[in-house]
Amino acid sequence: MELNPHNIAATLQVLRDPAGIPSHPAVFQVLMVLTWVFHILFVNIALGSATLSLYGFTRRQEPQWERLSIGMTKAAKVSVSMLIVLGVAPLLFTQVIYDPQWYASNILSASWAIGFIFTLILGYSSWFIFYFKNHQGAKPAIIVWGIVGLAMFVLDGFIMHALSYQALLPEQWMEWYAPDGQVDMSGSTIHAWQAGRFLFFMAMSITVIGVFLKAYAHYYKVREDYAADYRNFVNLLGSKIAIVGLVLQLVTFVWWLLSLPEHLHGFANPMSWIIMVFLAAFALLLIKQADQHHQTSYKPLFYAAIMALLVAIFRELIRIQYMLPYGYDILDYKVMEDLPSTALFFLTFVGVGGLVGGFFLTAIYKAGRTQGVYQASKPVAKLADSAVGVMIVWIAIFFLVGIWVWLKNAL
Amino acid sequence: MQEILGLYPSWYVPTIGSAWVMGIIGTIHVLASHTSVGASWLFALLETKAVRENKPELMEYIKKYGVFLLVFSYIIGSITGPGIWYAITVASPKGVGGLIHNFVWVWAAEWVYFTVEVIGVYALVYLIGKIDPRTHLKLTWVFALASWATMLLIVGILSFMMWLGNENWYQTGSTLDAFFNLNFFAHLGLRTAFMFAIAGAVGGILAATMKNETVRTDITRFLAKMGLAGVFLGMIMWMWYVQTLPENAKIIMQTQLPGYIAPTLFAVLAATIIYFAWSAWKPLQLKQGFAVAMTAVIAIAGLWPEERSRESIRKPYVAGQYIYSNQTISRDVPGKQIESNLPLIAEKGVLATHPFVPETLRTITATNRLQAGEFVAKVMCANCHSMEASGLRPMVKKLQGSTDVEQIKAYLGGALYHGLIPYMPRIPLPEMERQLVAEYLASLSKHTMTLSQTQTHASNTLVMKGD
Repeated sequence: MELNPHNIAATLQVLRDPAGIPSHPAVFQVLMVLTWVFHILFVNIALGSATLSLYGFTRRQEPQWERLSIGMTKAAKVSVSMLIVLGVAPLLFTQVIYDPQWYASNILSASWAIGFIFTLILGYSSWFIFYFKNHQGAKPAIIVWGIVGLAMFVLDGFIMHALSYQALLPEQWMEWYAPDGQVDMSGSTIHAWQAGRFLFFMAMSITVIGVFLKAYAHYYKVREDYAADYRNFVNLLGSKIAIVGLVLQLVTFVWWLLSLPEHLHGFANPMSWIIMVFLAAFALLLIKQADQHHQTSYKPLFYAAIMALLVAIFRELIRIQYMLPYGYDILDYKVMEDLPSTALFFLTFVGVGGLVGGFFLTAIYKAGRTQGVYQASKPVAKLADSAVGVMIVWIAIFFLVGIWVWLKNAL
Repeated sequence: MQEILGLYPSWYVPTIGSAWVMGIIGTIHVLASHTSVGASWLFALLETKAVRENKPELMEYIKKYGVFLLVFSYIIGSITGPGIWYAITVASPKGVGGLIHNFVWVWAAEWVYFTVEVIGVYALVYLIGKIDPRTHLKLTWVFALASWATMLLIVGILSFMMWLGNENWYQTGSTLDAFFNLNFFAHLGLRTAFMFAIAGAVGGILAATMKNETVRTDITRFLAKMGLAGVFLGMIMWMWYVQTLPENAKIIMQTQLPGYIAPTLFAVLAATIIYFAWSAWKPLQLKQGFAVAMTAVIAIAGLWPEERSRESIRKPYVAGQYIYSNQTISRDVPGKQIESNLPLIAEKGVLATHPFVPETLRTITATNRLQAGEFVAKVMCANCHSMEASGLRPMVKKLQGSTDVEQIKAYLGGALYHGLIPYMPRIPLPEMERQLVAEYLASLSKHTMTLSQTQTHASNTLVMKGD
């Protein structure tokens, strides 16, 4: 038996975890797509703000660019944290329904998967050094730290791209694992990538950082220490960058479609056209508003989130199509319903995510828009009390259930 | 019965093995994450003191430690967290797959906490002095509880990796039965105790830099008390923890762990107690370099052997005493409709059923025997054994350099075939594959012997030449 197209289907089936999954596969699929949207937006913000901060650093003789460079350095620092934490969820859900593809791809390039961890630590540490040093009157040489940081982020983006792409090509796994019949267990090679797809996500970083700048200008509108001139400069710059990004996205998207295997019929997919029309319409909207640099809002950022959602759906649709010839359908994954743990997640998501996350974000948002010390309003104070309350209740239930189950099984 | 084994390709790391790669990343993560959770409680307790006793100067320390945490725990800790997934994925895909599929919703709940924790640490650090103190105090307490919740959720999964302690889960398949296993509460107590100790040690690094001597004294003593409480609680929990371990773990602890581990751990324990007692007695003498050194000692001489031992005593399993470290399923789990892989291996072997065997190895010839033996040996053994002369439990040393094919084959067909060694998986290879593996393992010993003879000859020649 060889891993050829005739038995790839059987192999993919048998590689699935025998424990099955605790809820309907579609639940994991929806969560995977939705959580990936937030992850990719922060990836885009991180890459975009890091690039912009380095460019701004080279023009730091101009006060506006210097201020923007410092601001974007901070934005990149926080965004990398967020992209890591938000990347955990789609990674988790991918492993649930596409475990054969993801695991095989990772093992075949294992050294790169492990290298990803250490290069990300290196890049992020380097970026932190750049952040600590990038202040008014900073020495020119410190840019090296930022360049190393950004280079590592791009490399890590590429590794993730390759691992995701390799997962779509099971017909080539055997050739990669044992070229000419000689088994290679080193995992030292990146076997496949798709330039159009990778560059599309790079171009998306340009768009997203553009609309992020517009949101940034809007957020600081209420702060007197953020002068109108600076905000207008940022807003206008945001529009220009986003327009360039959208045009590049259109070009690279077509490139991506042209690189798809014939049986996927990339141009016949309605989702392809929805994305192209959306990108074009978004660009036209920004071009139309480009001269209104006093007008700021969060709307463009919201549109970018919709764009990311469309891309996420498209990405999942083509994965389904890639897998069709092998009969791999997530809907026939063995389901072993487990209601208590399902309830644990959804109740935690709503209760803790809503109240604790809501409290933290509200505090950050309100304090950031206040000059001086922010005094919590009544609703915010109530939200804080609810956050404390939900944590106490959650931990109490956890221990009550835990002790009951433990005793039941131990006695 | 299935005709194909659910085995992935293998990743082979010469000498140290993929297990060490996992161990190194895991140890770094444990250090960073436990420091972070322990520090979150330190912040909550210190800030309560600051608000109650009107000592805003304590907040300066919290800010310093918080920024340090952002770099130390939230760069290294948050990357190595998913990093462990990547490492286990490539080293033990069936192991991580089993855990993911049993505990996906637990992990998803942990992700919710992880997300609010990351937002929380930024809020905590950057909002000091920017929001009113009472609201900030609530924020800090919520952060501490949320951080601890991440530990509550991960410990159940880690304990499941050790064992269930009873038969219930195998029949019910229920996540609750798997999660709240016999080992859980003792393990949780142990980790909670450790988080206080390590946060106390790391906290010293920042406390030593405080300029105000009264504040420095206050904080150093606070850290010392917290650290000591952690150490003593940890000792009690350790005694309980050992009682909850399976028999194979106890045998490995007594007979298989390297001899230096127990004395090293006791020495680190004693050093930690002396360190905290001394810093409580003479807080102003605590220097930053010394605190850094103590943290390094705990990490390298304490945490690394402890984590290694914990991984080792779980052998031969990686999860729930049903997935072997060589990725095969060792038993039926009716509650999850899981069937053991061993009957298929015994009947057809690895070469006929592994989906990633190249066609050239499907039929055994005189020219590919060694290659086929190497393939089977690496798939079945390399997760725990190095195929080189040195490294992780080298096969050559374990077989005492035997070049006798029949002797090795007899071992493969005896104790190993029937699963009679408590810390080794049962590997019921058919006769032909036992022969191939024995030939390959014997060739390793021959190669090592030839190499050492060549080296001896070379060094003798050098001596004779007077070089």
